[in-house]
Amino acid sequence: MGVTLGTAVGVLPGIGPALTISLLLPLTFGMDPVGAFILFGGIYYGAMYGGSTTSILVRIPGEASSVMTALDGYEMTRQGRGGAALATAAIGSFVAGTFATVMLMLTAPALVELALGFGPTEYFALMVLALTAVGGMTGGAPVKGAFATFLGLAIGTIGIDLQTGQARFTFGVPGLLGGLNVVVVTVGLFAVGEVFWHAATHRVSRETPAPLGGPVRLMGDDWRRSVPAWCRGTLVGFFTGVLPGAGATVASFLAYAVERRVSKTPAAFGHGAIEGVAGPEAANNASAGGSLVPLLALGIPGSGTTAVMLAAFQMYGLQPGPLLFSQESGLIWGLIASLYVSNVLLLVLNLPLIRVWVRLLHVPRSLLFAVVLVFATLGVYSLNNNLFDVAVVYVLGVMAFFMRRHGVPLAPTVLGVVLGPLLEQHFRRAMAISGGDPSVFLTRPVSGTILALTAAVVLVPMLVRVRAARGAPRSPRDSS
Amino acid sequence: MVMPPDHRLAAVLIVGSVTYLLGAFQISVPEGQYAAVGPRLFPLVIGLGLLTSAVSIGVSATAEVRLPPVHWGVAASCALAFLVYIAALAVVGYLPATAVFLVLQSRLLGSRDWARDLIVSVAITVSVYGVFRLLLGLSLPAGLLG
Repeated sequence: MGVTLGTAVGVLPGIGPALTISLLLPLTFGMDPVGAFILFGGIYYGAMYGGSTTSILVRIPGEASSVMTALDGYEMTRQGRGGAALATAAIGSFVAGTFATVMLMLTAPALVELALGFGPTEYFALMVLALTAVGGMTGGAPVKGAFATFLGLAIGTIGIDLQTGQARFTFGVPGLLGGLNVVVVTVGLFAVGEVFWHAATHRVSRETPAPLGGPVRLMGDDWRRSVPAWCRGTLVGFFTGVLPGAGATVASFLAYAVERRVSKTPAAFGHGAIEGVAGPEAANNASAGGSLVPLLALGIPGSGTTAVMLAAFQMYGLQPGPLLFSQESGLIWGLIASLYVSNVLLLVLNLPLIRVWVRLLHVPRSLLFAVVLVFATLGVYSLNNNLFDVAVVYVLGVMAFFMRRHGVPLAPTVLGVVLGPLLEQHFRRAMAISGGDPSVFLTRPVSGTILALTAAVVLVPMLVRVRAARGAPRSPRDSS
Repeated sequence: MVMPPDHRLAAVLIVGSVTYLLGAFQISVPEGQYAAVGPRLFPLVIGLGLLTSAVSIGVSATAEVRLPPVHWGVAASCALAFLVYIAALAVVGYLPATAVFLVLQSRLLGSRDWARDLIVSVAITVSVYGVFRLLLGLSLPAGLLG
């Protein structure tokens, strides 16, 4: 069911996995955690796949991670090879998803082993790295990403300080004492903000899908060209997914670049090269699997969608990380097993059902967004049965609208809200252990290394930019 | 002469950051309690971070940046309708408020088919009610009349 919903979500432009999971959070409250996470896992994988269908047939990427697919996929459709493009996307997603799940199974326990020795110092360092990477890499200007991150952290400080009982930034409003619920924040920023944004920018848009040319399967030559592309895309995607901050969109861009570089006919890209569909589609699915590694093993999300999933864990009173792996291993392995099932289902369900997905595009956008607003309202209301939360969602939605308008990314803010309280808690615990000596963060080897890496994440792009600005007029050769 | 959009953005953000910082200074640190780090340090650091990045946005702003065009009328009426909906939930309760809101909202977002909007809106309202109330056992806003 998660897979079906996920694909639908992927097909519908403007409705992404982060939005859907946050909308469903309140609804799954009554479910048992295993069922809920299986649903979320299915949505995540399904959405990665579903985005490709519209990219290929209509040249409207359902998700940002399918932008690259649209380049060659739509060209293939115009040449009457849409069926082959859809097939390579589907099988590539399956191969990549399966490989990523195997890798998740192999690497996560190893990481858990390592993380068992981590104290608050190391966790603090890891979270700083995750926040920095996501803030710096989610596209657009890094200063805006930085602001978005601090904004999230600031929202996270609202409420009663757990260690001393001091109220912070509550302005005497009793509803703020408990802090802002992460679900409220994600629904406000992702769901409501998204609807406002679409209302204001895409007034009436009706696209008619191109007719699906050819059967949905691959011919001999397509196989020969697709298989290596899937493998490369999978590897690129998985490792990009594990790294904090990069995520599915970056993975698909990288995979496309790789395909173009290794190709003997780079000029064919953009004119219907099947590798240009196979590589990125494999990459975005593999990165979804990869991004679950740090989430499950360390409890540290590296993207907007995984941040929402962490919020979901917290809602059930679970803290992902080494402890969860040993204490709730049934849940973790259930989730991983369900990812395999999702993958198979995706392949089985989607190839025959492609025509149904295309029909989904005919659902009037207006109604769809209105329904999202209703769901957002009711979901948030049912969390605590109060309308104050709904008002907060409203304010955050308006804020998200202006952030999008000015190119301030939203994912770092959500990550900041989710990680902020944990960050502060670990920091203060580490300081208490060290007796107030801040040098522990640098002298403990693991945290020192991670913080050095963080500094590199910030400084290297800055240096590159300074050098580019200085060197560009003199040696235009470098800019290639 | 219009200000570059990023200058306007930075101005708003700087005001917000300063407000946050002032709020951070007002957090009282409990005395006589041993703690290496009190409840004020983190908000202060965050506040400084907010201010620094807000100022950098202003400094790095260029006049060339063009913002995407926005239908202000649609956006505002959409936001207003949603606000009215939240208020209506409190007064008349879920069922009537949602049905009316869905019809209204689809029209604001560009739908032009009265009969279809009406039927679909009522259908969605009722089915959501069924799922939330009967299947999941969650409560929905009942309003003053409910």
